[in-house]
Amino acid sequence: MKVNKTSALIAVAAIALAAILPMFISNNYHLNLMIQVLINIIIVVGLNFITGLTGQMNLGTAGIFSMGAYTSSLLATRLGINPWICLIAAVGMGFLIGMGLGYPSLRVSGVYLALTTIGFSEIVRILMTNLTGLTGGALGVTGIPPFSILGHKFQTNKEIYYLYLVIAIILIFNAYRIVNSKWGRAFLAVKDNPDAVEAGGINIASIKILAFTLAAVYATVAGSLYAHYVGFINPSAYNLEYSINYVVMLVIGGIGSVPGNVLGAILVTLVPELLRFMENYYWLVFSIITLLFVIFLPNGMVSLFKGKKREEKAGKGAQANGR
Amino acid sequence: MADNREGKSILTLNHVTKRFSGLVAVNDLSLDMKERTIHALIGPNGAGKSTAINMITGLLPLTEGEIYHEDTKISGMNAHQIARTSCSRTFQNLKLYRSMTVKENLMMGNMTDRKQGFVPFLFDIKNANKEEKLMNEKADQILEFMGLKDLAGEYPANMPYGKQKLTELARSLMSDPRLLFLDEPAAGLNPSERVEFVNIMLKVFDSGIDIFLIEHNMDVIMNISNYITVINFGAKIAESTPEEIQQDPVVIKAYLGDRYKQNMARGASNA
Amino acid sequence: MQVFVQLLITGIAMGFIYALVGIEYTLIWNATGLLNFSHDKFILFGAYMFAGTYVLGLGLPPVLAILFAVLTMFLFGIVSAFVIFNPLSKLSTNLFAVIGTVILGRIMIESVRLIWGPLPFTLDNFLRGSIHFGSVVVSKAHLVIIVVCSLITAGLQVFFKTTKTGKAMRCVSENKTAASLMGINVPMNIAFTIGLSAIVCATIGILVIPIFNVELQMSSMIGLKGFASGVIGGFGYLPGAIVGGILLGVVEIFGSMLIPSVYKDCLSFVLLIIFLLVRPSGILGNKR
Repeated sequence: MKVNKTSALIAVAAIALAAILPMFISNNYHLNLMIQVLINIIIVVGLNFITGLTGQMNLGTAGIFSMGAYTSSLLATRLGINPWICLIAAVGMGFLIGMGLGYPSLRVSGVYLALTTIGFSEIVRILMTNLTGLTGGALGVTGIPPFSILGHKFQTNKEIYYLYLVIAIILIFNAYRIVNSKWGRAFLAVKDNPDAVEAGGINIASIKILAFTLAAVYATVAGSLYAHYVGFINPSAYNLEYSINYVVMLVIGGIGSVPGNVLGAILVTLVPELLRFMENYYWLVFSIITLLFVIFLPNGMVSLFKGKKREEKAGKGAQANGR
Repeated sequence: MADNREGKSILTLNHVTKRFSGLVAVNDLSLDMKERTIHALIGPNGAGKSTAINMITGLLPLTEGEIYHEDTKISGMNAHQIARTSCSRTFQNLKLYRSMTVKENLMMGNMTDRKQGFVPFLFDIKNANKEEKLMNEKADQILEFMGLKDLAGEYPANMPYGKQKLTELARSLMSDPRLLFLDEPAAGLNPSERVEFVNIMLKVFDSGIDIFLIEHNMDVIMNISNYITVINFGAKIAESTPEEIQQDPVVIKAYLGDRYKQNMARGASNA
Repeated sequence: MQVFVQLLITGIAMGFIYALVGIEYTLIWNATGLLNFSHDKFILFGAYMFAGTYVLGLGLPPVLAILFAVLTMFLFGIVSAFVIFNPLSKLSTNLFAVIGTVILGRIMIESVRLIWGPLPFTLDNFLRGSIHFGSVVVSKAHLVIIVVCSLITAGLQVFFKTTKTGKAMRCVSENKTAASLMGINVPMNIAFTIGLSAIVCATIGILVIPIFNVELQMSSMIGLKGFASGVIGGFGYLPGAIVGGILLGVVEIFGSMLIPSVYKDCLSFVLLIIFLLVRPSGILGNKR
């Protein structure tokens, strides 16, 4: 892994900023937003493996996220299991989903895969809403306990923020390592030229399933963190719109680049809040801004910083292997 | 056809046949490639050369027959499994990774012979970094060997076609293959690029790698190969040394003859 | 028996709706290579335009209102072709295109909410009531859906097979370069196709008003199920969309007799996934 000094400095500065920012914030709502940002970053960084690098369109994030949230919260509330063990169970659920969704990706691609993942996500949502005995139906699950370490419960937003910040940094660091290693190159290679990957002695199937599994595990972990933070969940929010939002973050930030993913997650979570002063119109205005971004800056915010070369090539390569 | 060549077989095809719903692309093809040779498979357009190389490297399944790499049966394996028997190949239409630099392209070439799995990668950062460093050094070595060093950070799309072909060849060398398959290596190259490519091919051969190639360009074939198999309409029509192939009336009729006739006809009509 | 016939008619009616949804996005898919993820918002827009503006707002009689709604949507389709779909289809990967159409949908649903308000409403006298055929009771809405949808599907087939514009549209979907070499104005042709698709969307929106009322979520399920029916019948192929749609409608209605009706919505997605994995080309896929 090549880490040049500038990017290491930027990373340290970003972490320092993330660590001291809450000290100047007393507003609980703002802290809540910052926790939401952390959770979204984890999801987007995960989605980057499959949709950003490997080029497999995953529109089922809502389903994966809610499976993680429900696994964790049902184990915690129904069986009284320690939240940390629930989190590990959510990771296990991520593995299962990753394998399960990775398999279709071997057979179908492009919009067909997108439709498969949408189908999966919708089935999850309908089951969560209607298996009332297990999931609490539309009312959802309440009273989900927070994480605790050595008897100390993480209850205030500030405590939770710092705990989740640590988890997020670990996950982002690993994502960065993966993206800039032979694994990340293999993901990108699958998007660029599958035949050459096979001829290079690499099993495409295992690479795709690995990418899907990583994406799923990141999303289920985020789901678990979310559930143990807010304390209640219900299925109504986890529809296609929700999944799309993460792909928007991915595209706005810049596909393929971990710093881009982080930036995208921050922007797409916070900018609508900045536009709140427009009241009724804020979401419309935000949607128009995102549409303009997609059309005029399809390679994301990172392309503004690092020179367009690589991203353009990425685009062209993908087009050559498109549909 | 009497085969009195010495040495160990490195690639053996036994009665290999490929049918595409009725069309027989390769018909009962048998051949035996010896160690330390540059073995060429030639034939007119549509003779089934590409089908043959794609079957050998596992991109197409066989209809009938068996293929051995040394003593390992490779027919029936997947492409990536065959590649792991230390075979490597290039493609007729370049298959480079367009969103990666030349060096990153190379570093994809030997992903599998560095054995660290994904889970160890996550936890053993030290070894992961060591591996990455080894891959880097290996890529540098090969770039040096191929004379591509100053293009290491370039993207394939920004380079001339000849350099792209060299990059693909370099990538196929990354896995330290024993046997290298080249699919029309000289196609699309201009004469000076062709000379450069032939020299590098010979250099690769001298470094201990056996080469099996498909080629259209007669100059290249006659200059570098030790042994030639000629196929037409999917079936073998001749097999011998370059000198004998050039004299073989069957080959001249099927391959060279037709072309010369065409050329003569074209010359006549132009005149 | 009469229950069976009634269910069958309901199923066929819903099936025709799915079939029209299938047709509407297949038109755009074939013309531009974009899967229009905002198509359910087009349907929504058509319904609001008709009910909110022309009937309740301006007090026009239904026939005139339908005419105006269809015309407005056609123009809207043309405009969005030049403003949105054309730039999107030039982007490098279809990931961006998917996101683009989704965001277009967001903009549309937000506009609907701002223009016509968030509260659901309905049209009281529009396609209400039922008709008796002997002992079989059929709701007027279902009957109208079946008749109108059959007319549209048949009309489109005739349009594509016989008219010059229709033939040109088929050329464009086959090969854009060749079409432009043959003297077809490709961008205009694509715009017209999207306009046509918007007309179909408006029709769907108007037809489902008696079933779903006019509200912001009225079309999201039929939008997704329309995708499912397209895959089941044969993606990107108009007859496939029709067969898949009708099949899905009928299977759904009889399936809900066997399993609790809340899981009815699951059925189409399960079928979608099964078809994608087992037979991605769909029922009619091979005949292309």
